[in-house]
Amino acid sequence: MTRVQLEISLGILLVLLTGTILTVYGFNEESRMARYSEEQQARSIEVGAELYDINCKGCHGPQGEGIPLVCPPLNDRNFFTNRLEEVGWSGSMEDYVVSTVSGGRLVSTRPDQYPGQGKPAMPAWSDAYGGPLREDQIRAIAAFILNWESTAPERQAAATPTGPPVGTDIAVRLPGGDARRGESLATTQGCVSCHVATSVGPAWMPTAQEPGIGTRAETRFTQPDYTGQAATPEQYLLESIVNPGAFVVSGFQPVMPGNYGQVMTAQEAADLIAYMLSLK
Amino acid sequence: MLKSLDVENLRNKALQALDSRVRAITAGLGLNELRAVMRGDPATEKPNPRYKVHTTSFLFHIRPRYYERGSTIFAHTFRLGFFTAFLFAVELVTGLILMIYYSPTPSEAYQSILELESNVPFGLMMRDMHRLAAEGMVIFTFLHMLRTFLTGSYKKERSFTWFTGVILLGITLFLSFFGYLLPWDQLAYWAVTIGTSMADAAPLVGNELNLLLRGAPDIGAGGLLRAYLLHVILLPLAAILVISIHYYKVSREHGISLPASMEEGDVPPEVKKNARQRIDYIPDLLTHEVFLTALGIFILVASIAIFGYSAPLEHIANSQQTPLDTKAPWYFWWLQGMLKLGDKTLMGVIIPTLIVGLLIAVPYIDRNPYRSLFKRPVAVGIGLLTVITLLVLSYMGTPVYRIETPAATRILQDLAPEEGEGPLRSVPYDQLQPGVYEVGAEIPRDLCPNLDFGCPDLARIFAEYSRRVVRAATDLGLEDIERLPDAQAVMLIEDWQQDLKKITMRIVWNDPQSGDQKVYERLIFLHRERGME
Repeated sequence: MTRVQLEISLGILLVLLTGTILTVYGFNEESRMARYSEEQQARSIEVGAELYDINCKGCHGPQGEGIPLVCPPLNDRNFFTNRLEEVGWSGSMEDYVVSTVSGGRLVSTRPDQYPGQGKPAMPAWSDAYGGPLREDQIRAIAAFILNWESTAPERQAAATPTGPPVGTDIAVRLPGGDARRGESLATTQGCVSCHVATSVGPAWMPTAQEPGIGTRAETRFTQPDYTGQAATPEQYLLESIVNPGAFVVSGFQPVMPGNYGQVMTAQEAADLIAYMLSLK
Repeated sequence: MLKSLDVENLRNKALQALDSRVRAITAGLGLNELRAVMRGDPATEKPNPRYKVHTTSFLFHIRPRYYERGSTIFAHTFRLGFFTAFLFAVELVTGLILMIYYSPTPSEAYQSILELESNVPFGLMMRDMHRLAAEGMVIFTFLHMLRTFLTGSYKKERSFTWFTGVILLGITLFLSFFGYLLPWDQLAYWAVTIGTSMADAAPLVGNELNLLLRGAPDIGAGGLLRAYLLHVILLPLAAILVISIHYYKVSREHGISLPASMEEGDVPPEVKKNARQRIDYIPDLLTHEVFLTALGIFILVASIAIFGYSAPLEHIANSQQTPLDTKAPWYFWWLQGMLKLGDKTLMGVIIPTLIVGLLIAVPYIDRNPYRSLFKRPVAVGIGLLTVITLLVLSYMGTPVYRIETPAATRILQDLAPEEGEGPLRSVPYDQLQPGVYEVGAEIPRDLCPNLDFGCPDLARIFAEYSRRVVRAATDLGLEDIERLPDAQAVMLIEDWQQDLKKITMRIVWNDPQSGDQKVYERLIFLHRERGME
């Protein structure tokens, strides 16, 4: 066998081998592409979860439970079954979420239940409307939100205040508070959805490094960098709830909604303050 | 009528008609000649039609009529030049196909890659192959140059060919560099940001050059479009032109060099004579080239389909978020290494320009008439030193060398990198048992006794996490940046959604310099169907 003949035979063998590999590869393409799309969707949800954690949880809760009387929950059954009809949306659920997140809401569609953060009720998030997020990021957030559908629980509509609201004047005289009722309010009314920063529980508990919120409140308003109006620990805590922008402890962001003064009664505020002051 | 039908004549006429058709296609090789070629027989006609082809056919005209036997010895050339050209052809073909699916705008580019990989049969393979052949081309270009240098084949009449070769090395690197940006992922965006920022450091025209490349102060729509057009039009055209010149010199003018020993060595005259024997293009060289092409395609396809080579794709480019461990493509690590050593203008612009100038000047500086390795120790020494320097610089270019990352960031980045898989993400989803795992002095033997099959992978990751935190907390011999005094570390796994878990890795420590308490935290969300990379 000459060299030419050897190379021709080997070459034919290689071409056949390559052809075989490509054929087998080709038969798998269909399922590979399907799997790839699935994985892409999964990764989109992961990215959306991260973005949600950074941008959305402040109002809609880390687990999409919303904040009663402020922002609507995104993980409840009603959202997935009735919401499109409620607002008269003709497109798909995904379109609805993407559209809402992109453009935000100038005014709330349910001002009595979920007035939102004021004006606008929800800011625009798309960079096309002056927000910080790109289109693909908003789609990822939508993928994450839609992933709640299979586990969405039934929820009662949020209760309205049981009495006149406490308002934003921190010099107001509060009724006597009950620390036990305060604790139950703090743990059931959505505070913990944001205030969970330590390994031992809610952020107001004492940790190895810091005393509880009661002790912290006693000294905060006397610090030189304090910018609020409070003159007593009680007033400081009330101010933090009804006018959270007055003073933000360094290292934190001014993200707490500002309308608790309108949705909380004086008795509830007093109970909460009594509970917090008991944590030394 | 039947009488006039001469069967014998008819057969001949038919054969003749067929023969002339075949000759029209093969530019002069008749049926008998083709048969002789395949059998390895000598030419059947005079003048030799195998030579005549070279004047009648364009494609054969640009190929050589023969090579000298000595120059075809495998260990002399290793077919490096051939494979470089082969890979360039692969790039052209796969590149043209990829262009159908790609759109060069920041809002569409990344999506079009996802679309290509998820919705186009063989789309993923096309992209993998384009990338593999690109990396291969860089390797082969470099090796081809190294071989040419070591065999002294750049001397005398070949000095201009060497010059075009240096230009081609540059074009290859620039082609890879601008192609690197096109997927528009984090990897691409930041590697190219670093790369073009070197243009910024060029003296006098730096700012203008940078603007010209990026189209704006930062890479955006303008920069992507420019990289794209450079990658698909200007540079390929330049490459085709220079390759033509480079190749024409070899095939029509001076041929491939003979091994030094056969040209100038102290060998018997018949060896020299034998080395100069002509090997015809048809059939020997042609067969060899077709064989090498089949081999090359087989290797490319097998690397992807069997050995799993895959072009990376990170998260979509985000100009707001500089990733940790930013890295240039490996063939630019040497440059990144140099940048760590000094000023950007000196190391990133002036020295690389000098290197190119030196490379071009090699044939003119080196006046030694000999080509044998043993007769030019200085040149060979410098060559080897250069290779070693490149390797060392490349090592220094990786993030391993002299990039100081704070301990907590480093530990979490190693366990769950921002991009790519990392050990934590490769833990099977079912082993991610929700719970709070605090790092203590003792590493628990069984992390999740309630799971049927336990969680050995998770336990392994957690042990690694614990080991590194404890070491950083207790080893006083470490540098300040590597220490985590009084560290408390936790790994928190939560069920977050259907098929989605949230893992919080948090390290709290007292800063060794200021004594302040510091926290570093990383959130990782893992979906059951995320797939492995």
